[in-house]
Amino acid sequence: MLSNLWLLFAIPAASATILLLSGKRALKWGPWLGVIAPAISFVLGLIMFFQLRDLNPRVTEQNLWSFIPVGDLQVSFGLMFDPLTAVFVLLITGVGSLIHLYAVGYMAHDERRVTFFGYFNLFITAMLLLVLGNNYVMLYLGWEGVGLASYLLISFWYTRPSAATAGKKAFIMNRVGDAGFILAIFLMFAYLNTVNYGQVFERVGSLSANTMLILGLLLLLGACGKSGQFPLQAWLPDAMEGPTPVSALIHAATMVTAGVYVIARSNPVFSANTTLQLIVVSVGTITLLLGCIIGCAKDDIKRVLAWSTVSQIGYMFLGVGLGGGAYALAIIHLLAHGFFKANMFLGAGSVMHGMKDQVDIRRFGALSKYMKITWLTFMMGWLAIIGIPPLSGYFTKEPIIAAAFERGDWTSWLFGWAALLGALLTAFYMTRLFVLTFHGPKRWTEGQHPHESPPVMWIPLVFLAIGSVVAGYLMHTSVVDWLNPVFAGVENVPEYEPVMPHWLISVLGVAFAVLGAGLAWAIFGRGTALEPEPAGVVVTAARNNLYTDAFNEVVFEKPGRWLTRALVYVDNKGVDGVVNGLAALVGGGSGRMRRLQTGFVRSYALSMLLGGVLVLGALLAVRLG
Amino acid sequence: MTPMWYIVLSAILFSVGAVGVLIRRNAIVLFMCIELMLNAANLALVTFSRINGTLDGQIMAFFVMVVAAAEVVIGLAIIMLIFRTRRSASVDDANLLKY
Amino acid sequence: MDKLKLPDMDYVALLPMLALFVAACLGVIIEALVPRRFRNIIQLVLSIVALAVAMFFVVKQSGEVVASKALTAGGAIMIDHAALFLQGALIVLGFVALLLFGERSLEFGGPFVAQAAVTVGSERDREQTGRELGSTETFPLALFSLSGMLLFVSANDLLTMFVALEVFSLPLYLLCALARRKRLLSQESALKYFLLGAYASAFFLFGVAMVYGFAKAVDFKAIHAEALLGEGNSLLLIIGLALLAIGLLFKVAAAPFHVWTPDVYQGAPTPVTAFMASCTKVAAFGGLLRVLYVGFDGLGWQFTPVLGAIAALTVLVGSILAVTQTDLKRLLAYSSVANAGYILIGVIAGQQLGLTSVLFYLVAYGFTVIAAFALISLVRDADGEATHLSRWAGLGARSPLYAGIFTFILLAFAGIPLTSGFIAKLSVFGAAIDGGQTWLVIIGVITSIILAFPYLRVVVMMWLSEPGESTPSVSIPGGLTSTALGIGTLATLVFGVVPGPLLDLAEKASSFVR
Repeated sequence: MLSNLWLLFAIPAASATILLLSGKRALKWGPWLGVIAPAISFVLGLIMFFQLRDLNPRVTEQNLWSFIPVGDLQVSFGLMFDPLTAVFVLLITGVGSLIHLYAVGYMAHDERRVTFFGYFNLFITAMLLLVLGNNYVMLYLGWEGVGLASYLLISFWYTRPSAATAGKKAFIMNRVGDAGFILAIFLMFAYLNTVNYGQVFERVGSLSANTMLILGLLLLLGACGKSGQFPLQAWLPDAMEGPTPVSALIHAATMVTAGVYVIARSNPVFSANTTLQLIVVSVGTITLLLGCIIGCAKDDIKRVLAWSTVSQIGYMFLGVGLGGGAYALAIIHLLAHGFFKANMFLGAGSVMHGMKDQVDIRRFGALSKYMKITWLTFMMGWLAIIGIPPLSGYFTKEPIIAAAFERGDWTSWLFGWAALLGALLTAFYMTRLFVLTFHGPKRWTEGQHPHESPPVMWIPLVFLAIGSVVAGYLMHTSVVDWLNPVFAGVENVPEYEPVMPHWLISVLGVAFAVLGAGLAWAIFGRGTALEPEPAGVVVTAARNNLYTDAFNEVVFEKPGRWLTRALVYVDNKGVDGVVNGLAALVGGGSGRMRRLQTGFVRSYALSMLLGGVLVLGALLAVRLG
Repeated sequence: MTPMWYIVLSAILFSVGAVGVLIRRNAIVLFMCIELMLNAANLALVTFSRINGTLDGQIMAFFVMVVAAAEVVIGLAIIMLIFRTRRSASVDDANLLKY
Repeated sequence: MDKLKLPDMDYVALLPMLALFVAACLGVIIEALVPRRFRNIIQLVLSIVALAVAMFFVVKQSGEVVASKALTAGGAIMIDHAALFLQGALIVLGFVALLLFGERSLEFGGPFVAQAAVTVGSERDREQTGRELGSTETFPLALFSLSGMLLFVSANDLLTMFVALEVFSLPLYLLCALARRKRLLSQESALKYFLLGAYASAFFLFGVAMVYGFAKAVDFKAIHAEALLGEGNSLLLIIGLALLAIGLLFKVAAAPFHVWTPDVYQGAPTPVTAFMASCTKVAAFGGLLRVLYVGFDGLGWQFTPVLGAIAALTVLVGSILAVTQTDLKRLLAYSSVANAGYILIGVIAGQQLGLTSVLFYLVAYGFTVIAAFALISLVRDADGEATHLSRWAGLGARSPLYAGIFTFILLAFAGIPLTSGFIAKLSVFGAAIDGGQTWLVIIGVITSIILAFPYLRVVVMMWLSEPGESTPSVSIPGGLTSTALGIGTLATLVFGVVPGPLLDLAEKASSFVR
C-alpha cells in the first residue's frame, strides 16, 4: 500500500474533476460522492499509517516522475510518507470526511452544492499534496492549491459583497506570504542547488548564519501568511464569510495549520539558528495574546472562533519555535485543535442552522434546552480548548506552556507567563461564548424557532466531540516518541531546568482556566445587553481588532501604494518608452520584411537560390578559411 | 576527352535550369527547367558512375527517371487546374497569397 | 557471371511502411468500387486500422532492436531506435491529423472539394460546393505520404532518401489543392508548393550526385568513412552537402528556404495544414538529423556555424514576421517557421542531449499544432473558416470553452510553464548551452519574447474585445474534430506536467546506428 501513495490524493482529485464537470447533473449523488472520496483516502491513510509503523526507519519516498528534469535543475513529482505526514494525512482525511458529511446537511438547499463539493474535494487534494510532497516545490504546489480552493470557497456566495471582499483580502494577504515562500525556494535553488527536503537539510549546514536567517525568515513569512499569524492575521476572521463547513475545515482544522507544518518540516533550518527560534516564539506569543484579547470583544460567533483559531495557532507557533521536544507537542496540539475547533465550528453552524443564520451571540441564549446534542458536543469542545482535565486541550496545551518555561534564561518568564495569561483569556472568552449561546435568558430576535439539526449534521459532531475528549491521550501513547525522530537533532537540545516545577505549572494552568471561566460565567451568566455598549479604551480597541487593520494600512498599505505609484511613474516614463521603442522597431521591421513575401513564386525561388549560394559560399569559406 | 567535362556540362545544364526557373513565366516552361535540373543530375550520376567504375550511378539514374515521371503527372495536373481557372499559365498571375 | 543475389529483406521490420502502403492502394481501389456516400467512413476506418497495425509493429520492434541487424532491404533502410521513435511519432500524429480529414459535421461534405477538376467559379462549382460530398482520395493520398515519411526517416542512403522525399511530397502537393472553399487560394498554394518543392528536390538530387562523385557510394556509412578519410575531392563534398541542405531545409521550413510556408499553410485545407505542420516537420527533421549525424558527422565543425546562422535567421524571420500577421493560419505558419528554428538550435547542439530535445520538441509541437489547426477549423461563418484575426475578437464571450483551449494552446506556443512548449524550449536551450551555443540561446530567448507578442495579441482580442456583428460562431465539433482537439490539448498539458516518460523515450531513441 505504501508504494501507492499517489492514491491518497488521486481519489479526491478524480472526484473533484467529476463533480466540477458534471455540475447540476449531479445534484442527487454529487454530495455523497464528495463525502466518499476523502473517506476512502482516510481508510487508505489508516492502512498506510499502520504499515509505516513496521518500517525502519519510518519513512518512505517515491518519485513519480520528473517535473523539471533539465540540467542541474532536478525537481521531481516526489512523495514522502513519514510520521509527520501520516499525522497530517489522518487529520485532513479524517476530520475532512466528517466535515464533508456535515456539509451534506448544511448545504442541502444550496443550488450550487455540487460545485461546492467539487471545490471541497479540490481542497483535500491540494492539502494532501502539500503534506505528501518530498520537496519544497511540491509543497508550494499544494500551497497554491489550497490557497486557490480557500479563495474559491470563501467567496463561494460571491453575490454577497462582503464574501467577495473577504475572498480578495484572503487572496492578497496570502500573496504576501507566498512571495516570501517562493523567494525561499529560489534561495534554496541558488545556494543549495536542490529543493528536496533531505538534501536541503543535509546541505543547510553549509550556509552562512545570515543566509540561514534570511531563508528562515522567508519561510516564516510564508507560514505566517497561510496560518494567519501576526502581522498577516487579518484575513482569517474575514474568511468566515464562507459557508461554515469551509470555516471548520479550511480555516480551523487544516489549511491554517500549513504554516506549522512548514516550520515543523523545516526544523533543521529553524533549530540551527537561535535568533530565528526567538522570532518564531515571539510571533507565536504576540499572536496568541492578540487573538485572545480580540476574541473577548467580538460578538459574531464565528469570528470569536476565528480569533480563537488565530490564538491557538499562536500556541503551535510557540511550540515549534521552542524547538526540541516541543515540535512534537505542537503537532499533537494541532491534532487536538483540529478536533475541538472543527467540532465547535460545526456546532456554531448547527446553531446558525437552527436560528435562521443569526450569528450574533448577544441574540442567542438558553439554546441548551432546544439543541441538546449541539450543546453537549459544543461543551466538549469548550472544555477541551480551555484546558480542563481530562479533556484533550489540557494534555496538549499545558506541555507547551511548560516548555515555554524551560528556555533557560529570563525569556522563560516572559513567554511562560504570556502563555499562562493566554490560557486565562482563552477560558474567559470561550466561556463567554458558550454561556451567551447556550445558557442564560433568551434574547432571540422575533420569529425564531430553534431546533436540533438533522442527523447527517449531528453525527459528525458526536464523532468530533469524542475526538476532542480523547485526543489528549495521544500524549501518553507512543505517538510522541514516534514523531520525535522526524525532528532531527532533538536529542542534542540542552535540557534546561524549568524555572518553576512542573506540577506548579499544571496547577496554575488549570487554576487560570477555572478562574477565567468562572469570571466569564459570573459576568455573562445572566445574559448581556442586546447591543454593544460604549466601553473603555481596551474593549473598544479589542472590538477594532486592536487596530491591527489600521496598523496594516499605515505600515504596509500606504507605503505599498506609494511604491506602486512610484513604480508606475518610472514604468510609464522609462521602461515603457524603451519597450515601446523596441516594439515599434520590431513592428516596423516586420512591416517592411513582410513586403519581401511578394506572393510571386519566382521571387521565392530566387530567395531559395540565393540562400543556397550563401550556404555554399559559407561552407566553402569555413573550409578554406 | 576526360569524363570530367561531362560533369562540367551537367553543372552548366543545372545552372541553366536553376536560372530558367527564375526568369521564365510560363508554368510549363518553369516545370521543364526543373526537369532540366533533374536530368543534369542524371548526367552527373552516370558520369560519376563511369569515373568511379561502379554501376550504382546508372541504376540511380533510372530511379530518378521514374520519380521525375511521377512528378510530371502531379505537376501537370496542378498546372492544368490553375490554367482552367485562370485561363493563363503564367505563374505570376497566381499571386493572391502574399505578405 | 555471378548468380544474382537477392538482397536480404526483413519484412517484419518493413511492415509499418508496407501496412500503410497496402492500405493506401486498397483505398484507391475503394474509390473505384464503393458508392460515394460510404467512402468516407470506409476510408477512415481503413486508414485507422492501417495506422494501428503499423503502430503495433513499431512498438513490437522497438523492444527488439539490435544494432547489427538494424540494416535491412539490401542496406537501404535502417531501423534503429531513432527511426522507430520517429516512425511512431509520425503514425500517432498522422492518426490525429487524419481524424480532421474525416470530419463531416462542420460543413456539408467535409473539408475537401468534390471534384477538383471542376473550374472554380463556374455554375457547376457553385453546385458542388454546397451539395456534393467531398472527395475521399485524400485518405489514400495521406497514407501514401505517411508511408513516404516513414521511409524518409529510416532511409540509409541518399537515393532512398530522395525517393522517399518525393513519395511523401507529391501527395502533399495534391492535397493542398483540394479545399472545398476558397479554391483559388488552395490551388495557388498547391502550385507554389509544387514548383518550389520540385525546385528544392532538384537541388537535393544534384547534391546526391555530387556526394556520389565524392564518396563513390551514397550510403551514409560509406560517405562518413570517406569524409573522415579526407582523400577525395572535398569540393564535391562541400557542394553536395550545401545542395542536400537546401532540399532538407526547404522541407523543415528554415529561412531563407521558408518562403513557401506562409502561402501554403494559409491556402491549403486546414486538415492538410495540420498534417503538414506536424508530420512533415517530424519527417524532415528526422531526415536532416540522419544526414548530418550519420552521413556527415566528421564534418561537424564545418557545417555547425553555417547551420547556426540559418537557425538564428529562421527564428528571427519567423518571430518578427509573425508580429504583423493578420490571418491566423499565416500567423501559425510563421510561428511554425520560428519553431523550426528552435528545433534547429537543438540539432546544432548535437550530442545525446540535443538529439533528445529535438525528438521531444517534434512530438510536443506536433500535438499542439494539430490542436491549434483543429480549433481554427471550428470558427466559421457562411463562407467557411473565418481566419482573419479581427473576426476572432470577442470570441471569449461567445464560446469561452474554445477560446480557453485556444488560449492554452497559444500559451504553449509561447512556452509558458505547465505546457509542453515550455519543457520543449527549456530542453532545447539547455542542450544548446551544454553544446556551447549560448549565442543561439540568447537569440532564441529574445525571439521567444517577440513571438509572445502576436500570441498574446490573439488572446487579448479573444477575451478583452466585445463580440461584434462579424464575430463568427464556433461550430460544435463532431466527434472526430473533438477527439483530435482533445488529444492535442491533452498531450500539450500532459507533456508539460509529466514530461518525464516522453523525455526518457526520446533519450533512448537518441542514437543513430551507422
